[in-house]
Amino acid sequence: MIECPTCKHQEFVGTLYCGECGTRLVHGASVPTMEVSRGHVEPGEGTVTKPGAQEGPELESGAILGLRVVSTGTVLSLIGRENYTLGRLVPTQAVIPDVDLSPFRAHEHGVSRMHAEIRLDYNGVHVIDLESANGTHINGQRLEPQVLTPVRHGDIIQLGSLSLQLISRYRV
Amino acid sequence: MAGEQDYYKLLGVPRDATQEQIRRAYREAALRLHPDRNVRPGETELFVGVNRAYEVLNDPARRGEYDKELRAAEAETAEKSGFRCTVLHSRKALLQLDEPQVHYLLFDVTPAPGFKVIRPPVNLCIVVDRSTSMRGQRLDQVRSAAQAVLDQLDASDHAAIIAFSDRAEVVVAPDQAKDRSVSRARLSLLQAGGGTAIAQGLETGLTQLRQSFQRDGVNHLLLLTDGRTYGDEAACLEMADRSVTDGITISGIGIGSDWNDRFLDDLTSRTGGAAIFLDTPRAVTALLQKTFDDLGRVFANRVRLEGAFAPQVDVRSAFRLHPDPTPLSDALPLVLGHLGRDDSIRLLLELVIHAIGPIHELPLASLKVAGDLLGQAPDNPPLAIEIRCPVTGEPEHEPPPPEILATLNLVSLYRMQEKARHEAELGQASLAARRLENLATHLLASGERELAKAALGEAERLVHTRHLSTEGEKRLKYGTRALLLPSKSGAP
Repeated sequence: MIECPTCKHQEFVGTLYCGECGTRLVHGASVPTMEVSRGHVEPGEGTVTKPGAQEGPELESGAILGLRVVSTGTVLSLIGRENYTLGRLVPTQAVIPDVDLSPFRAHEHGVSRMHAEIRLDYNGVHVIDLESANGTHINGQRLEPQVLTPVRHGDIIQLGSLSLQLISRYRV
Repeated sequence: MAGEQDYYKLLGVPRDATQEQIRRAYREAALRLHPDRNVRPGETELFVGVNRAYEVLNDPARRGEYDKELRAAEAETAEKSGFRCTVLHSRKALLQLDEPQVHYLLFDVTPAPGFKVIRPPVNLCIVVDRSTSMRGQRLDQVRSAAQAVLDQLDASDHAAIIAFSDRAEVVVAPDQAKDRSVSRARLSLLQAGGGTAIAQGLETGLTQLRQSFQRDGVNHLLLLTDGRTYGDEAACLEMADRSVTDGITISGIGIGSDWNDRFLDDLTSRTGGAAIFLDTPRAVTALLQKTFDDLGRVFANRVRLEGAFAPQVDVRSAFRLHPDPTPLSDALPLVLGHLGRDDSIRLLLELVIHAIGPIHELPLASLKVAGDLLGQAPDNPPLAIEIRCPVTGEPEHEPPPPEILATLNLVSLYRMQEKARHEAELGQASLAARRLENLATHLLASGERELAKAALGEAERLVHTRHLSTEGEKRLKYGTRALLLPSKSGAP
């Protein structure tokens, strides 16, 4: 049997979605479970200085959340889940973040393997620091570990020294 | 020579069995079936067959020869079949495990290439509920929608319109359907009043269809209702079962919130059709038109999945994803309905596989896609599909195919809605409300804002009244089903 990480419901091996709460139960081992689109945005566009960054066209269709890696302009679409862990994949370890930031030199930026989580519910979008070594900042403010902090479209989420900008089409 | 003479099947060994496996299987079968020992009639013949199979398979040279012939014969049968089918597994290999495990299969059935393109004659009967509640806009829309379909009938088509309340009557008979002035006059006589006795309408409709039955065409009954039938459900289901054997499909349109969706789902899905929910009668015209157009594009009817699963394999659920997403009964044969040309039937099976010992491969099922091709030369054998899956001792970490993941995500939303409704019916209102809130979150995450709002609305309602609204039930059920439509899920 396998156990749903969200609601602790027991399911048979091989089950893909929890029958109780609908949480997805499989993870790829070496591939991030997210469908990541690497549509490049013009690096010249000063996305950092414009808090009201343009909405959506760079998100994959169906996605209502995304993260723009400020240093490269790469946009990662977040699709199909209600919570996404952010971190860095280490091949020898069984810790698998939903969004693997290692292609963006996460290690050098001080991103922990399980650094933070983005959680989506009908109250809005929140970020939680998962007791990371180098901390999570939202628009320069350091978060207390394990505390839900609301974030909005255009906010800068900093993991260690890696800056991500939240793209959200989400309205409460 | 293939088929019944498959020596491997006769001995019950896989195609890649070792000589030792073959010898063992033969010894076992021979002991059991020997004329001195066997008990049941026919076992002596089986004994002869097993001996012949062993003679061939035990000799590597003759076995090689036989393998070639077998493959050629099977390829030839598959080539002649009117169907093609691909099967996608959720995992590349099953696990050696002493507890049950789940495995998903995604089937895509498509027409085989090389058949002539024809429009089959359509034999359609529209059965209209004319109970009091249909008065006004509902019946007006149905009248004009029905007229629009009658106006498009081909010379070879047949159509009839039946109305029912407590009894049924033929409003437009097949011989009146193609005369515009007559059919118009007849339809204007269609007035609301009375109760909803669906069995009456069905019986009259099916009788009409049988009278103008098209052997090489599609025979279809479309039931339009906005109410509940009382006491004659069993009779209706029985009629539906009979109509399947005759090659008649039934689909249903439920208008508004007061019809019995479970009954209509059951009635239609057992014939390969589907029930559709309309919250406004305005959509009737478009839906009727689509139904009529689809019938003219049918390539094969009575499409079904037959055969058997291995003893340690149970089907936990079956869901037709396309066309018309509908949960199906989990017993073989699965009735799949029509296959359109240039179209496909997509089916998701959820299997529970019981303990697997130290073997390298597990045969899961031996299935056949069967159906009647319309207007084609005879001799179209069913398509045989042998489903097997390798077994490993080490868990694999490869993620499941994205099509299966995406589909199951949506199916799981549908299931949550079903569960919440079930809980609400058991009086577990707060449990159901929490589940609906959770469903709303998932729906939001998939970008389905309207449906999420409906789920939240119903959750709130549960907290206050301890019940779901009949409209909300249907909106969530058919709304989550509609997520599986190709425009949303990327299916074909």
